[in-house]
Amino acid sequence: MGQDTGKRGIASVGGYLPLLRLDRSAASKGLQFSGLGGRNAGYRTTAGWDEDALTMAAEASRHATSTVAPTRICFASTSSPFIERGHASMLLEALALPANARTIDVSGNRRCAVSALLDALLGQGDTLIASGEKRPVRAGSAFHTAWGDGGSAAVVTDDGGAALIGYASLARDYVDLYSSREHPTPYAYEERFVKETATRDVIAPTIKAALADAGVTSADIAHAAICEPLPGMWRDISKATGITAPNHASDLSAAAGDLGAAHPLFALALALDAAQPGDIILLAGFGSGCDTLIFKVIGAVAGAAKARAALTQGLIFADYLRFLSLTGTIDLDWGIRSEFEQKTQATVLERYGRDMIGFIGGRDTRGNVQFPKSRIPVRPDADGPEPMEDMRLADVPAKLVSVTADRLNFTPDPPFWFGLVQFENGARVMMEFTDADADGFKVGDSVAMRLRIKSHDKRRGFRTYFWKAAPALRPIMEA
Amino acid sequence: MASGIKDRVAIIGMGCTVFGELWNKGPEDLIVEAFEEALADAGIARGHINAAWVGNALDDINIGNSALPLAHALRLKAIPVSRVENMCATGTEALRAATYAVAAGAVDFAVALGVEKLKDTGYGGLPLRTKGLANDLWMPYGSAPGTFAQLAGAYTARHGASSEDLKRAMAHVSWKSHQNGALNAKAHLRKAVDMETILNAPMIANPLGLFDCCGVSDGAACAIVTTPEIAKGLGIANPVTVKAIQLSASHGWEASYHEWDGSSIRNTQEAAKRAYAEAGISAHDLSMTEVHDCFSVTELVTMEDLGLSAEGSAIFDILDGRYDHDGAMPCQTDGGLKCFGHPVGASGLRMAYEVYSQLLGRAGDRQLANVDFGLTHNLGGQPANSVAAVSILGRLN
Repeated sequence: MGQDTGKRGIASVGGYLPLLRLDRSAASKGLQFSGLGGRNAGYRTTAGWDEDALTMAAEASRHATSTVAPTRICFASTSSPFIERGHASMLLEALALPANARTIDVSGNRRCAVSALLDALLGQGDTLIASGEKRPVRAGSAFHTAWGDGGSAAVVTDDGGAALIGYASLARDYVDLYSSREHPTPYAYEERFVKETATRDVIAPTIKAALADAGVTSADIAHAAICEPLPGMWRDISKATGITAPNHASDLSAAAGDLGAAHPLFALALALDAAQPGDIILLAGFGSGCDTLIFKVIGAVAGAAKARAALTQGLIFADYLRFLSLTGTIDLDWGIRSEFEQKTQATVLERYGRDMIGFIGGRDTRGNVQFPKSRIPVRPDADGPEPMEDMRLADVPAKLVSVTADRLNFTPDPPFWFGLVQFENGARVMMEFTDADADGFKVGDSVAMRLRIKSHDKRRGFRTYFWKAAPALRPIMEA
Repeated sequence: MASGIKDRVAIIGMGCTVFGELWNKGPEDLIVEAFEEALADAGIARGHINAAWVGNALDDINIGNSALPLAHALRLKAIPVSRVENMCATGTEALRAATYAVAAGAVDFAVALGVEKLKDTGYGGLPLRTKGLANDLWMPYGSAPGTFAQLAGAYTARHGASSEDLKRAMAHVSWKSHQNGALNAKAHLRKAVDMETILNAPMIANPLGLFDCCGVSDGAACAIVTTPEIAKGLGIANPVTVKAIQLSASHGWEASYHEWDGSSIRNTQEAAKRAYAEAGISAHDLSMTEVHDCFSVTELVTMEDLGLSAEGSAIFDILDGRYDHDGAMPCQTDGGLKCFGHPVGASGLRMAYEVYSQLLGRAGDRQLANVDFGLTHNLGGQPANSVAAVSILGRLN
């Protein structure tokens, strides 16, 4: 392409990490008897029971779409919860974007979000690429602590502040781990094979081709976001490509874990946060080949600082059994109360589902806002049916009117926090809370809305989504 | 203009089973026991019964739907039998239906029977149930203690009360009910418990500990009603009469409109206001109350909602012993939901049974000195979305 071509670029980015961060040394301690495990330094982001690839992609997208309303939405993940239910369509509804936007799900390997990003940059229209991962891994596997959960997003526009100046792709059926519908958890292959051949045969050639396409050298790269197939491979990749810039993808792996398909765009956000105007950034996604993209920072890119802040906004925990439970590695016997039937009827979901996942309430003819909408408004002086205007509540500031930590009701991660939430615009909703920190919740607390799993019907493998109140501010992790 | 039902209906017979974890009794046993006691008390033949209402709140976990379980258990011969359900107000709802039928002149003798068989679920507490298919998409599945625990923080926030004072007052509520329940041979929990044990009990839903929660019980209670004139004809010169029965249901105001602060129950206030007006008395004319102490904090708030304590002062009235058995306004003389137990559909009629017994001087060790009017109060649902029922009973003359 060369530096003078390719005006399309990235206008905004988003990065989301779950609240909980496992202290990896706790896993090492728990597994000490076995000699299994993996790296024991740093933290491993751990999704709440009510988070999945979709919810984390949605949270990242909220950051990235605050200034741009995309007309194309792409969802990228290797751990999508559904086989036949478009996640991009759900994401669109969660973000309350126009239904005539074009949507697509991409998957197949952990490079998919980078591939989609490249397609968007070479295509047309304001495009959101959103990615989320919550990959199942068996306890004892090194991946269990090396991988993390999270979401990332980027919006591509004609005048995005990070302009694409070069790229290269390489497709190769390269098997470095085994994972399939039959065996969804990863089965690792010989590390020495991967370390040697992935760099030599896949990553380095693609990076070199991209550098040539952009007309720049390895020395021109100010920041890198190069995904490592395995932890610790950056040194070899650097040596093979001559790139000596800081690799934000490696930093992300240490701080949060390898986020799979969500990793490249999150690392790109960190690179953009660190970059100065005029800097050149190299992004490389690996998996069944490699895509390498080279950007030049020519303007502002929103959301990068928030992504960096997410690295240290969390709650460290060292309860390895809780980690095993949250990651689905052990299936605790929660007793009879957990047997509650949560079957979702498709007909009901069709009638009300969009208002639920979009958190759409209604404003009556006198301006009162309520959730959910009703034929006759809840307003005390309402005297019959009134038309209602859609009002989205997801981004409206709110405070708690009442609260409790319920220890009787079943939840996969006790206690079950819930209460009455008062929104600034007048609406109020009795709802579940999530992401409780060490202080819990109390009356008067400011809360922010998070898209989460509402019900999980394990019998049929189905889940519904709604919004939950979370602390408006997350705790800062101590170094 | 409606004139109300004051003194238009007499209760001539009541029955109530032992409440508790009745592993060896099924719904039929409970229904028959409560009814036979009421029938014997009324002194009429079973063939005189013209109509019956059965109150049962959780039909899906045991008894089954419709009124047929009652008709079958009592072998009621082709008379109108109906089932009513209004959550924890179900028992009073059954009494209301039977009372209205008599007051309307539609029947001479009507039966109200509440029954619940909860202890066949395999676990403690009430079962988690659907809130409706659309509501399940967003409403939290909070437990009963979880929903009522919400009152506590909202109450202290509104009145500037300390959490410690509230906790002590809640503990006193439970302590008092255990004292009373120990005197009641039909109560589920008959053991007095000291304050320290209550205060240090395991947490169920902050700040409600184990002893802040009522028992989940099996049981049934029954009333037979007729007109005062017929009662006199049966030789009951001064029968117990219904002075008022009122109900108030949420329409979404609390949970969906921005005015309610979560610290009180408007439906209790509304139902009580109308009940006092219907009975022609004020709160201060009452001799006793049986209120819906599903959780200790509920009883505390209810004392204010019924007008028995000034707003913000229930904590201190409770700690001063105002609602103890020997206090100025005894509450839960039979142990209440807390200790008599809470077979949901039966509870309203169980409360009426205690007031009836006190009015007739039959309460044994629990008997109060002077009882002119007794109030019963049920609260179904949760504070943010409730049905409140308030009835007042007294003597005809």
